[in-house]
Amino acid sequence: MARKMLIDGELDKANEAESHYDFDLFVIGAGSGGVRASRFSAQNGAKVAICELPFHPISSEVIGGVGGTCVIRGCVPKKILVYGASFGPELEDARNYGWDVNEKIDFNWKKLLQKKTEEINRLNGIYKRLLSGAGVKLFEGEGRVIGPNEVEVIQLDGTKISYSAKHILIATGSRAQRLPIPGQELGITSDEALSLEELPKHAVILGGGYIAVEFASIWRGMGAKVDLFYRKDLPLRGFDDEMREVVAKNLEGRGIKLHPSTNLKELSKTEGGVKVLTDHGEEIVADVVLFATGRTPNSKRLNLEAVGVELDKAGAIKVNQYSQTNMPSIWAIGDVTNRMNLTPVALMEGTCFANTVFGGKPMAPDYSNIACAVFCIPPLSVVGLSEQEAVEKAKGDILIFTSTFNPMKNTISGRQEKTMMKLVVDAETDKVLGASMCGPDAAEIMQGIAIALKCGATKAQFESTVGIHPSAAEEFVTMRSATRRVSAGTAKPRTNL
Amino acid sequence: MAATRVMASAGNAVSAPQSLDLCFRNGRLLTQNKRLFFVHDFGKKLMLSVVHSFPCAHRSRRFTTAVRAESTNGSEPSAHYDFDLFTIGAGSGGVRASRFAANFGAKVAVCELPFATISSDSAGGVGGTCVLRGCVPKKLLVYASKFSHEFEESGGFGWSYEAEPKHDWSTLIANKNAELQRLVGIYKNILKNSGVMLLEGRGKIVDPHTVDVNGKLYSAKNILIAVGGRPFIPDIPGSEYAIDSDAALDLPSKPKKIAIVGGGYIAVEFAGIFNGLKSDVHVFIRQKKLLRGFDEEVRDFLGEQMSLRGIDIHSEETPQAIVKSSDGLLSVKTNKGTVDGFTHVMFATGRKPNTKNLGLEAAGVNLSKNGAIEVDEFSRTSVPSIWAVGDVTDRINLTPVALMEGGALAKTLFANEPTKPDHSAVPCAVFSQPPIGQVGLTEDQAVKEYGDIDIYTSNFRPLKATLSGLPDRVFMKLIVCAKTNKVIGLHMCGEESAEIVQGFAVAVKAGLTKADFDATIGIHPTAAEEFVTMRTPTRKIRSAPSEILMPKLLLVFDSSLCNEKLLHQRIYMYGQSTPGQLSDLSRCPSPDSYAYAVDEREVAKAAVKNVFLLFTFLHRCDFSLLCKQVKFDFGAKLDKVFELILKLYSVGLCNVSS
Repeated sequence: MARKMLIDGELDKANEAESHYDFDLFVIGAGSGGVRASRFSAQNGAKVAICELPFHPISSEVIGGVGGTCVIRGCVPKKILVYGASFGPELEDARNYGWDVNEKIDFNWKKLLQKKTEEINRLNGIYKRLLSGAGVKLFEGEGRVIGPNEVEVIQLDGTKISYSAKHILIATGSRAQRLPIPGQELGITSDEALSLEELPKHAVILGGGYIAVEFASIWRGMGAKVDLFYRKDLPLRGFDDEMREVVAKNLEGRGIKLHPSTNLKELSKTEGGVKVLTDHGEEIVADVVLFATGRTPNSKRLNLEAVGVELDKAGAIKVNQYSQTNMPSIWAIGDVTNRMNLTPVALMEGTCFANTVFGGKPMAPDYSNIACAVFCIPPLSVVGLSEQEAVEKAKGDILIFTSTFNPMKNTISGRQEKTMMKLVVDAETDKVLGASMCGPDAAEIMQGIAIALKCGATKAQFESTVGIHPSAAEEFVTMRSATRRVSAGTAKPRTNL
Repeated sequence: MAATRVMASAGNAVSAPQSLDLCFRNGRLLTQNKRLFFVHDFGKKLMLSVVHSFPCAHRSRRFTTAVRAESTNGSEPSAHYDFDLFTIGAGSGGVRASRFAANFGAKVAVCELPFATISSDSAGGVGGTCVLRGCVPKKLLVYASKFSHEFEESGGFGWSYEAEPKHDWSTLIANKNAELQRLVGIYKNILKNSGVMLLEGRGKIVDPHTVDVNGKLYSAKNILIAVGGRPFIPDIPGSEYAIDSDAALDLPSKPKKIAIVGGGYIAVEFAGIFNGLKSDVHVFIRQKKLLRGFDEEVRDFLGEQMSLRGIDIHSEETPQAIVKSSDGLLSVKTNKGTVDGFTHVMFATGRKPNTKNLGLEAAGVNLSKNGAIEVDEFSRTSVPSIWAVGDVTDRINLTPVALMEGGALAKTLFANEPTKPDHSAVPCAVFSQPPIGQVGLTEDQAVKEYGDIDIYTSNFRPLKATLSGLPDRVFMKLIVCAKTNKVIGLHMCGEESAEIVQGFAVAVKAGLTKADFDATIGIHPTAAEEFVTMRTPTRKIRSAPSEILMPKLLLVFDSSLCNEKLLHQRIYMYGQSTPGQLSDLSRCPSPDSYAYAVDEREVAKAAVKNVFLLFTFLHRCDFSLLCKQVKFDFGAKLDKVFELILKLYSVGLCNVSS
């Protein structure tokens, strides 16, 4: 192809000088970030190899799979289960709309699990084809860094092969961790929770983060009894406090028992299941105990310290703004760098890496105004600053616009659950600094709002947009008067809830 | 310069010993802001000049009346009038205008007909179409009908039902009506709390400052007409058996088999509702496709999805008569035959402004042909003290638009802030199943208005459907102005489209670019993230080769030497180039454009023996379309072509004139 010919003309020269490397790029880890970086690098003309552990839904030091956390043990299977769980409450809502669903309804967890596994296998295949289609060589096995330009792949049969590469990219992601308490081995992590043999009748969840509230909603929606324990007053630390209150209220409203400011002390095995002892002296017996207590970067077995790559205290690989480690030929992206642990962020980091290293266009990922969603039921989605962050950072006053309303669907279903929306606006510049919503379709609604925020849209621009009627989303463009004005410096942001 | 002047334009190909043939695509040139004229000199001198022409006004200009101070300053005492503002019609627009006017200090009255679910000359109700006979009850029925799809979906997620869930129509209608009553109460309270006097009865204009309600006269400094529109049933034999959307929202029993006549949004929404509630639904449309005025691809997509859900769409089939048979069932006679067995026939054949018997003509208010009140940009009628907002003006007939018009009017009249409602980039939704959301222009409109556009589409199976096994898909489309990179149209058909499009509407309204979309990180996993992750255009549309004027790099295909594959290797570079241009070159052409080039070559080959296709390459310039647009037929040798091209550009570049 002509265009190829023209670029190759440039690359050929480069390749000649560096022909002593097996690859221009060797990527360890074929998750969202790794696959993106290798594909885009290959498209820029680089010779790329990638290695990944063998596939299985539950990860370990030696188990992984092409597609990574997002596809196999994160976003995708989680969202599938959320869909599955949402039908439970939907059936309740249907009654007042005239549907007679009082007959026996059955939920077959195994069937859902099987279909979920089929879908994940399909996606795993798609990712593999994406790689081969882009001309990326895929090795199955555990990758280790041997030197600044050398990677070793331990194959399934134990044999080791080493490859030289001009650049090495580490994209090994992270793994769920348990809390070091007695009996911790009796608990499970989100990996196992996505592949349980039986649907729990009674689940105990420890953690207040997004994984904890998502599983609480999933199991509750499928009919299980759920106890959710967390250390703070409210779940979802780091999100807007008012929205956290809404989430807590909704979880409770949907039948999840909340145990704020409570820790688990010990797990022990009993006839009825796992006995949980809390630091309040409370005892609960459950059939499943889930630790949703954070994730650790997968950096231990990569031989990084020996090569001289710096890690932080949490074990995350330290990188500069271009995702380069302290070793110039070694780079890292995604959860293993513990910057912002989201799939689309890893994709962005991967794209920037490929452009920087092989596209001749140094590009630093931009972490401002990245929207994210928590798929509890109903979901929470946010972009930009929370009220507390805005007040903290503000030089002038902040205007807070809120709207709490009964979604139209609930007017007939009778469900007692309000949707809440919030805009945080800089009083002086009129710029919208933050938006958040908790209610049905929040994640879908927030995407477009995110573009507006990313581009510095003002409240006036929101108002000049005509609403789509009747929708929940139109509320974002029809909030006319501020709920409150927070003067800079006067308000003490509520923290540490 | 003594030259024979030849203008190459649509349908006017030039043939000469050495001819230039510019093929403009059917008349799109007219909307370009640049026109190309080739001045052809048979003395072998070529000159290229550009004539700038002003873009054609694509919308008729409305007569703009300056808003006069004496009629706008509502805070001035107006003791000789009973009211500063008298509003006829308490629907979305009327209530909004009245409330806001009252908030600005005006003395306001509003009159409305007594409440009934079915509207007529003597029945209406506070809340208007939106609350009583439109958006709200419609959406409630959409919610109800969507459950059956969810029951189907749930099967793929492990849920099963001993007996298939059955629907009870009367429960739904009773609950719906209770909700409507509640909303009417809320609206009345809103009016009361803002100090607006509510009168029940039919308002009629007596003179520019007087309204008659039930025989009582009220004088007002300003009169606002916000009486909305009503469904319209064409007069065909048997039309008395047909129902309209008012009645369809409040039927005593659920239709077993219903014919819906019309292809507009009301028709497709009701088709979805009754199909979801398990009626047998037949839609009769005059045209080939549903939803005239919407983006063509969206129309195709929705038609397909509705058919997949079991709706029978009879395209190009117009009912000519309705016949009631002895068993009480209705038959629809069309231009193609007869379809029997309907329990209901519903006409969704448009709505008409409620302007009859309002005393408008007598007061001197101008109406358009279809009965809509003509207004200027400030919503003022031909009578300076009479104003109109909402469906009765037949601008964009949407609740939020009526709200905008009402709000703007209150500001204009009583806040000393003349405000024009801005009807650009108004998003809207169709609550079909699956629903549609859109903002900005359709592809056809965009081509007309901007000429050069890039289209990004995505048609995918959502995560939910991969599990449910249902044939549900999602279609998304972005229309980008090639010149400015602005997103000028955004369309979606698929679950939650209405909710998804709202946020994007803010972005489109703010004039954001495709680059801004690309810079936004996706929310994963959602359907909406697709809108920020569309990387490659599906196609590029270029209307005229005006960009030839700024060549950066010339590429000539020697088509006589190549087959399809060789073609790629036979690109010769000509002229000066820089590394930057080379990288542009590597990025831009898509495989499609090569295919295009090959087709074009074949066509050309058939015509003449030795054909050269000239491709001009520059930033954002599409190979394929240029190749279609510029054909050089010289019957000459390669170097001669080069010579000519060079001349063309050297002269062209220094002779850009207006």
